[in-house]
Amino acid sequence: MARFVDLAVSAVLLAGLYATMAYGLGLIYGVLRVVNLAHGGVIMAGAYLGWVLHGWVGLDPYASIPIVVAATFLLGVAMYRVLVRHLPRGAAGGPASLLLLFGVWLVLRNAAYLLFTGNDQVIRTSYSTHAIPLLGSWVSVNRLAVLAIAVVTPALLQLLLRRTYLGRAIRAVAQNADSCTLVGIDVQRIYTITFGIGTALAGLAGLLSATLFSFNPGFGASELLKSFVVVVLGGLGSVLGTGLAALILAVVEVFAILVMPSYLTAAVGFVMLVLVLVLRPGGLFGQRVLG
Amino acid sequence: MTRWPAIFPPRAAIPFALVVVALALLPVLVGVTPYERNLFTLTFLMISGALAWNWMGGYLGQVSFGHAALFGLGGFVAARLMLHANPTPAPIAWFLGGVAAGIFSLGAHPMLRLRGPYFSIATIGVGEASRLLFTYWEEFTGGASGLSLPIDIGMKALLYWWALGLMALVVVASFLIRRSTLGLQLLAIKADVDAAADVGVNATFYQDLVMVLSGAVVGLTGGLYASFFAFIEPSDMFGFDRSIAFVLMSVIGGVGTILGPVLGAIVFVLLRQFLLASYPQLYLGLYGLLLILIILFEPLGLTGLGLRVARAVRRRRAGARRVVASP
Repeated sequence: MARFVDLAVSAVLLAGLYATMAYGLGLIYGVLRVVNLAHGGVIMAGAYLGWVLHGWVGLDPYASIPIVVAATFLLGVAMYRVLVRHLPRGAAGGPASLLLLFGVWLVLRNAAYLLFTGNDQVIRTSYSTHAIPLLGSWVSVNRLAVLAIAVVTPALLQLLLRRTYLGRAIRAVAQNADSCTLVGIDVQRIYTITFGIGTALAGLAGLLSATLFSFNPGFGASELLKSFVVVVLGGLGSVLGTGLAALILAVVEVFAILVMPSYLTAAVGFVMLVLVLVLRPGGLFGQRVLG
Repeated sequence: MTRWPAIFPPRAAIPFALVVVALALLPVLVGVTPYERNLFTLTFLMISGALAWNWMGGYLGQVSFGHAALFGLGGFVAARLMLHANPTPAPIAWFLGGVAAGIFSLGAHPMLRLRGPYFSIATIGVGEASRLLFTYWEEFTGGASGLSLPIDIGMKALLYWWALGLMALVVVASFLIRRSTLGLQLLAIKADVDAAADVGVNATFYQDLVMVLSGAVVGLTGGLYASFFAFIEPSDMFGFDRSIAFVLMSVIGGVGTILGPVLGAIVFVLLRQFLLASYPQLYLGLYGLLLILIILFEPLGLTGLGLRVARAVRRRRAGARRVVASP
């Protein structure tokens, strides 16, 4: 029983991280209809940026959140303005954008490899090993902080999408870009900002995972796939759906360890991805319009 | 939806046959060093794999990021058969590896109704899950330490002709598929699967058919590759990098064409040989950069570049003729 509670607690904590990873991918797909295959690369970049700020400047990983978010936002803006914008019209959701962003990912991976070598890195702070008792099991302080940020982030995102002019414009563009041009919304500007916000969320997720796991330039591949599982499972644009989907993925992954060797639990996410795509391509809770 | 140019018209059949004959006679008449022979063999194998990938990615428009699963399965089935207490002759083992991969491809049936990015993402999932499962299945693949085949120098030399034969067959098959009604039906499915079904194309059947054909040939290639290297391990055979290689070769050369994957595979093998020797740290990034440039500027890759040059030359010539004719 104690083991069950342990696993349940760690599943909830893991779900927070998965949800944070998935928001960015879902937002970009919802508005631009582009699957950002470079998502994993940005997650990796966020992790390294946090590592550099911590190791070279001595900045606490949680204090470096604004810097990482701003930097990956600019990275996303640049990616959109320089590359994604030039994709032929109508092909945006097709193989062209997939291959293009895949190329970006390869370049990011190679850049990280050149800068930081292929060695595994980890952000270790003074409180990395601290834990507090919760429901009879010991929970790492870091994991709790990650969960807290994972709850606050979608709330802020929701506030942005619902309460601000920019957010309403983003939702309008997601519904019908052509009509937006008619009422004077600069669609290209909205696309740029959305792509930036999406990559900034990926950067944040990367920074958060860097405080929990070790990473190297190849980091982000399985994170991309897990984000995709969550996005497809949760349905587009539904924040609650994303949270629930992240929880389902985390629970299945964590409890898989009871029935199979730990080496194979990594495959659970991939198998789930295929099953979800084949069985429920519209998401568990139905497809919904963004916001 | 870009229309493919007829890259491989019937008049190309004679030059193609001449090239194959010349390549077949090359080691006998001119003589090649083992290094050159190996490079040629590897190129032939990569061309076969890239063309088979192109049947899915180019003809059908279903970009697969998971073909390594089929390559690995074919390779390991063939290797196991050759290592068996009663060793199977290599050609039969390769063939059975191809058959196994073809049967395994049938499993993709439910995935084939996914379109565009959804299919691609699902193939990443299948590829990575296969890598983990086959690495775990030590009785079959030898786990992380892999399998060693008995080294047979004679076989390695013979493989030059086997690989050449496979490549020639796959080129002819690509040509036949492209030129037949099957090719037209695939083109229709690629353009719009619902509209194709409306005019009576059995989209489900043809997608399955091409998937099985593509999988079987990639599995066959994997079998020959296993004999060629005499040592295979799951993390390489099933690796994501290998899946990417199939994509890159076709896209660099020109996706959907026949000449494209051939050119792409040649460039890929040469670039890899050169880069791994002198700049191993730039190897992935350069491919990424190539991918970005090709998608942005020349979606038909090297083939498109060649066509563009040919068109410009023809126009200049026509222009020159007009200038001469006008006075």
